[in-house]
Amino acid sequence: MFKFYRVQFLFIIIFLIFSFIFFDIFSLQVTEYSSVEEEIKNQIFQEYYIPAPRGEIYDYKNIKLVKTNIEQYLFINLRKINDENLDLYKQLIKFNFIDLSNEDIEDIFNSKEVLEPIYSLQKIDFSVQKQLLEYDAFEIFEVPMREYLYSNVFSHSIGYVGIPNSEEENEYVNAKGNKLVGKNGLEKFYEDSLAGVPGKVIFKGDQIIEYIDPIPGQDLTVTLNIELQEVVIESLIEGLNLANKNFESESNIERGAVVVLNIDTGAVEAMVSLPDFDPNLFVDGISQFDFTRLDRKQAFNNFAIQGLYPPGSVFKVVAYWLAVSENIFPVELNSKDDSIDCTGNLSFGFDDGSKQVYNDWKLEGHGLVNLRESLKQSCNVYFWDIALKIWREFGNTDGESLLQEYAKDLGFSKLTNVDLPYERVGIVPDRQLFEEWKVARPELVRDEGWLGGDLMNLIIGQGAITTTPLQVANAYRTLIVGQNSSPYLNLNATRIINNNINISNEFSNFLLDDLGSVTNRGGTAYKAFSIIGDEIGDIGGKTGTAQNAGNKNNTSWFVGIDSISKPKYVIATVVDEGGSGSAVAAPISRRVIQFLRGLEPTPVEFGEITE
Amino acid sequence: MINRRITLIGPEGTNLYIVFQFVLFNVISWFTLYTSIESLEFNLSNLLFRQIIFSTIGIGIFFLTTYISINQVAELSFFFILVSTILLFGLLLTAPIVGVNRWYSLEAIGIPVFLQVSEFSKVFVVAYLARILSGYENRLIGYSLIFLNIILIFLQPDLGTSFLFVSVVFCMLFLTDIKFKQIFLISICLILLFFIFLELDFLGQYQIDRITSFFIGEDFSQQQSRLSISSGGITGTYIQESLDLNVFVPVQSTDFIFSLYAKNFGLVGTVILFLLWFLFIFRVLIIIQQSEIIYEKFLLSGVILMLSIQILINLTTVLGIIPLTGIPFPLLSLGGSSVISTSIFFGLINRAFIENNIVI
Repeated sequence: MFKFYRVQFLFIIIFLIFSFIFFDIFSLQVTEYSSVEEEIKNQIFQEYYIPAPRGEIYDYKNIKLVKTNIEQYLFINLRKINDENLDLYKQLIKFNFIDLSNEDIEDIFNSKEVLEPIYSLQKIDFSVQKQLLEYDAFEIFEVPMREYLYSNVFSHSIGYVGIPNSEEENEYVNAKGNKLVGKNGLEKFYEDSLAGVPGKVIFKGDQIIEYIDPIPGQDLTVTLNIELQEVVIESLIEGLNLANKNFESESNIERGAVVVLNIDTGAVEAMVSLPDFDPNLFVDGISQFDFTRLDRKQAFNNFAIQGLYPPGSVFKVVAYWLAVSENIFPVELNSKDDSIDCTGNLSFGFDDGSKQVYNDWKLEGHGLVNLRESLKQSCNVYFWDIALKIWREFGNTDGESLLQEYAKDLGFSKLTNVDLPYERVGIVPDRQLFEEWKVARPELVRDEGWLGGDLMNLIIGQGAITTTPLQVANAYRTLIVGQNSSPYLNLNATRIINNNINISNEFSNFLLDDLGSVTNRGGTAYKAFSIIGDEIGDIGGKTGTAQNAGNKNNTSWFVGIDSISKPKYVIATVVDEGGSGSAVAAPISRRVIQFLRGLEPTPVEFGEITE
Repeated sequence: MINRRITLIGPEGTNLYIVFQFVLFNVISWFTLYTSIESLEFNLSNLLFRQIIFSTIGIGIFFLTTYISINQVAELSFFFILVSTILLFGLLLTAPIVGVNRWYSLEAIGIPVFLQVSEFSKVFVVAYLARILSGYENRLIGYSLIFLNIILIFLQPDLGTSFLFVSVVFCMLFLTDIKFKQIFLISICLILLFFIFLELDFLGQYQIDRITSFFIGEDFSQQQSRLSISSGGITGTYIQESLDLNVFVPVQSTDFIFSLYAKNFGLVGTVILFLLWFLFIFRVLIIIQQSEIIYEKFLLSGVILMLSIQILINLTTVLGIIPLTGIPFPLLSLGGSSVISTSIFFGLINRAFIENNIVI
């Protein structure tokens, strides 16, 4: 039977207990309140950070490129070490982990940290683990380890991680606790999202009173394509070997870069810079020897965004665009279809009566040359003529920087805003820059300052102008799509629109057609591409050979378009001291284009020496 | 009464006071969590978002429970206890999570949730025990099943929850015409049983540690929790931000959530929370007195006993009066299983209010 009075009785008791609890809370919050502040302020807990697992990196097909391995690690709680048990623990460590030297062990015990990692337990027998854990001062925590699964393949694009310096510790909140920070490449650019929040071990005295789990970083999916990247590296290495075989250069030809840019999206699908390095070397801290060796080879430079080269004839598309847009053609010509007769040199005079003769790379001349032929055969005379016309029309006026403005609209001397750190911008020289240099770097300029000859140099991509391979690739992309936006490597990156340019479909189409003529019969890159066979008619590009000061061999350039009818990729290739663009850079690009078109890539063979 | 027309919301279907109070408790819980997490992101790893999702499911379950009449609960109670027994037994066969067999992980089917079965057993055991006490079931089978449930929870091992169950069962027995002599006898048996288990090494080392560390007065989290409560003062740090001193309390958002609540909202908040619960219990007591159905009387007594003893154990733990138990504060602590089992309790009470024609 149900007895209600017993319910009442129970709840009176419960109420009494509640009253007691309430009284306790009341005394805590009211009576003891004032004394608590002091007590809380005096609470100091030592914290030790356990690194958070970094986000993993996948290529656009979801193939894992960079992995975070979680390893059980044995730690020692140094607070529990005293004079009495010091020798015991030293013996235990020495006995169980024979590859630790005496020095290593001394380092462990001299550490100022509360906890000190000793050894990964991955390969340690379970019974040994259990036995070690019976000793009070040993603790096990999970520690993440970075592993670059394709070692050298992505050393510049993905970058590497390393121990943070004090600046990085200030810049990135979690760097100190993670004991690791992205040093270069995507690892640095996306440090905030890749790095997680480190876990915490909280100590009171020598006791661990709390462990807070780390929060792993976010994964990153990149636009890179592992297969393409590997083909590009092979091709570039073959090209470098070939260049070394064919040229007698003072130093070994070993530097080069290739960028493969998706024309529709601006995604970077491959980015290679040689020489490269294995980012895994940095995970445990790189040795001084390795570092110096690689540094001397400039292996840490990503030449695709940091290498500054005069672009040579690949720059001619700027004048090509200018000529069509402004209707400025060589003297007496009215349209792009009219021809000049190139005799292999250009002699011209200035108002002051001085006369000069410029020689084309092809001394016997190109014959009848219109705009299309000038690009196809890389005829300098045609472009010099355009430069002269600009100079005569606008020289020493506000309009004289017409060519420079067109170049800047295509992104030259500006950041492409790619999602990588340390991008360099290069130079598009003009009168103002030369005036500045007169003061700051007088060794670079003549006393007369900016002259018509400088403009004539600039129009064929020579002289003071410097660009990065990515800038060049992005400039070509801009001319095809009509918009200069940032290339990107993070598949989910927000794209930055740098500027829009006014380009008609008609222009893009005949530009593509004319680029197509370069790789076909009569074009500078025909020899390098002829192996492709039937499909050659649909491929295009532009060669470039830029002269360098001193004894340095020429810089070899090629910008390729995988398809004229359906352009999908622009490939910019540069080989530092590689010589003629048509001989070295063009066949490298050809092999990449073969892969992009689903053809079997054939070995890189030395092309024709032009320019 | 079974054929009553039930509408989802409104005077005829739902007691407004109960709904209001239920939602209010949930909101207080979100707010308390927010003071500690300080961000709401829409994914299940954000604890606040998680709790809001659980509360939303809980509100749904509250209304669903309202559709089941008290009579149906009585008739289904044997089935409930069987389900509870099977689930608890199944737990012992799963792989332990952090050293105990307390949760079913739903991660295998893609939901990052852990089901704590003993939370649901709270409902099932109370419903079934009320049935036994109102004289419908075979007592031998009945008490054995209840006992089996408690033993299975004890074996997980979960000392705190099994202690809670023993207390509630004990109190419910006390509501019948049981003699004091019998109660005394049962107590002796239980204490003996506890020590036998202790001898047989059924208790984990950490549980013994908890008890011993309590008696030497050293439990860190309880000391910290007292400091945290104290730092709230009268109005709480939420209003007087200048007084905000960070007191580190381990696992504060689950079992120690009251220390966070009291720190943020001070004595004023504590008084409000206590008054809300008193009012709630008082109103249920009135129904118990008025109701003419024996089963309903036992069921409702069991429900409010379960809730108030949970709160008692939780508060005494947070204040360091008894050793660590791991009992959550109903509708305040973070934890999906607890929210949902408490939603069922509230749903049952709501149904009882309706059946007694109390709408506000």
